[in-house]
Amino acid sequence: MTSQLLEIEKLNKWFGEAHVLRDIDLTIEAGDVNVVIGPSGSGKSTLLRCMNLLEEPTSGRVVFEGREITDVRVNLNKVRTHIGIVFQAFNLFPHMSALGNITVALRKVLNLNERDAKERALKELEHVGLEERADAYPGQLSGGQQQRVAIARALAMRPRLMLFDEVTSALDPELIKEVLDTMKRLADEGMTMVVVTHEMGFAREVGTRLLVMDDGRIIEDGVPKEIFSNPRHARTQSFLAHVL
Amino acid sequence: MAVQAAERPPSGVAPIRRDSTLASLVALGLGAVALTTIFIGGLIVLGAHGFTPSEALVKGFKSHELDAVLLAGTGIGLLAVGWGAARFGKMTTKISREECIAGAVLGGEAMVLGALFFWFVNGDRVELFAVNYLDFERLGPLIGDFVNGAKNTIILAFSSQFFGIILGLALAIFAISKRAVVRAPARAYINFFRGTPLIWQLLFIGIGLPIGFGLNIDTYKAGVIAFSLNAGAYLAEVFRAGIQSIERGQLEAARGLGMSYMQAMRYAILPQAVRRVIPPLMNEFVVLIKDTALIIILGLSSAQRDLMNVGDQAVANDFNATPYVMTALGYLAITLPLIRLVNVLEKRLRSGLLGVGA
Repeated sequence: MTSQLLEIEKLNKWFGEAHVLRDIDLTIEAGDVNVVIGPSGSGKSTLLRCMNLLEEPTSGRVVFEGREITDVRVNLNKVRTHIGIVFQAFNLFPHMSALGNITVALRKVLNLNERDAKERALKELEHVGLEERADAYPGQLSGGQQQRVAIARALAMRPRLMLFDEVTSALDPELIKEVLDTMKRLADEGMTMVVVTHEMGFAREVGTRLLVMDDGRIIEDGVPKEIFSNPRHARTQSFLAHVL
Repeated sequence: MAVQAAERPPSGVAPIRRDSTLASLVALGLGAVALTTIFIGGLIVLGAHGFTPSEALVKGFKSHELDAVLLAGTGIGLLAVGWGAARFGKMTTKISREECIAGAVLGGEAMVLGALFFWFVNGDRVELFAVNYLDFERLGPLIGDFVNGAKNTIILAFSSQFFGIILGLALAIFAISKRAVVRAPARAYINFFRGTPLIWQLLFIGIGLPIGFGLNIDTYKAGVIAFSLNAGAYLAEVFRAGIQSIERGQLEAARGLGMSYMQAMRYAILPQAVRRVIPPLMNEFVVLIKDTALIIILGLSSAQRDLMNVGDQAVANDFNATPYVMTALGYLAITLPLIRLVNVLEKRLRSGLLGVGA
């Protein structure tokens, strides 16, 4: 196994009559920050959610660390502990404190004892700068803080791949920066990331690889700065013209 | 409020006028006096004659003082309706209008009640009714039985609700399964128990099963089984609605962390769903409390009798219906506080106070 963390082959996804992903082939290299952009409805989120099989592909293969996880015999629960995901709507458990949100999977999935789980959770909260809000419930936190807790919750599982699904889209403008800064730090630490976003600044500054999607296909794949300054595809040009 | 700006007096400090007027207070006062006259006045007259024995009560019912009080109340009520209706249109503030309406409505209520009571106490059946339904002296020796009956009603309802919750939760989880083969039996069970009369279920379990299988089921236990099975079906629907009201993202977040479906249910979904369905759960409990009265169809030994059964037995023994009144009061004493509690909880849930933590 080289540095290929995740491979996607001939991936198709249909929602009823809608063909959302069309023959996607994609390889995610370890250490890359892959930013996925594209117009809404182009299949970005669906592609991301197919990477940990939260969305079941209609056809095609997903291979994680050399193991085909689209094989029905694979224990997906185990695989998902290695792939963290953060959502647009945070999806923190509202009946648990920030600490509880992080420890629940550590204890019930990784079977850590209470002390170790708490220790690891506090470390991750410190990592996202929220150690003093450990006992706060999601309803008592700002959107930006909630999203950072959600990132800490995913990181606490020590994943080898992190998926970010439009994680700043539900945030007020002044709260976006704190989340992006957290993600940037994570990128600097060498985490492999796939980031679906509308934040072009982040794509340009932090991304090491840019994927542009349109109508269920990846129409552009390369170094962010090059694509931004010299888009190859006409569709990319018009999309960038609209968002920049 | 822009409309009112034109009417604002030159010195204009109060854009919305909140003051009552003498006329509106008179309307409100008349209505209140009319209703008080009927209730308090009536009780005073009856009290003066005595509530027991029933002969004294009958004397009170037939007294001219009561007639006078009821007619006075009805008359004042009529006055309140007339005054309130006539003045309403002339009132210039919100409060004074509301007071006119309230006065007129109170007066109308007093008129209806006063006329009904008057018609009742002057009818030729009043004595028959009082002796049969309002002979409170008979209740004294029955107090112990009623307390025991209330205890049995609560035990029946509580244990059935307990088993019903366990059953309902399991059924709800089956009913939302994505596999039709798991869903179908749960749906069939729920539909059967919601689609057949509870009294049929009671008879079948209390009499049909013992005959068919040669089982010797104590009627009290048969009651608990039937009520539990029935409550399970209804509670399953309550839990299903609660689970399905939880945002999809919660399940995805839990699965994304590597939890199995059952773990996600156990730790992420159910704690939220259960909290959300506490009010409807308690509503079902109130319904169940009243439904337990149906156990009367199976017949109970004297120590096992519930409220309804105690009342019915007492009525049968003495051929006097006063214990039925007591039975109703007994059920109300149990259900009204619960209904009140449901309302408080609903209000709190809506304001989100139970949504966070706790």
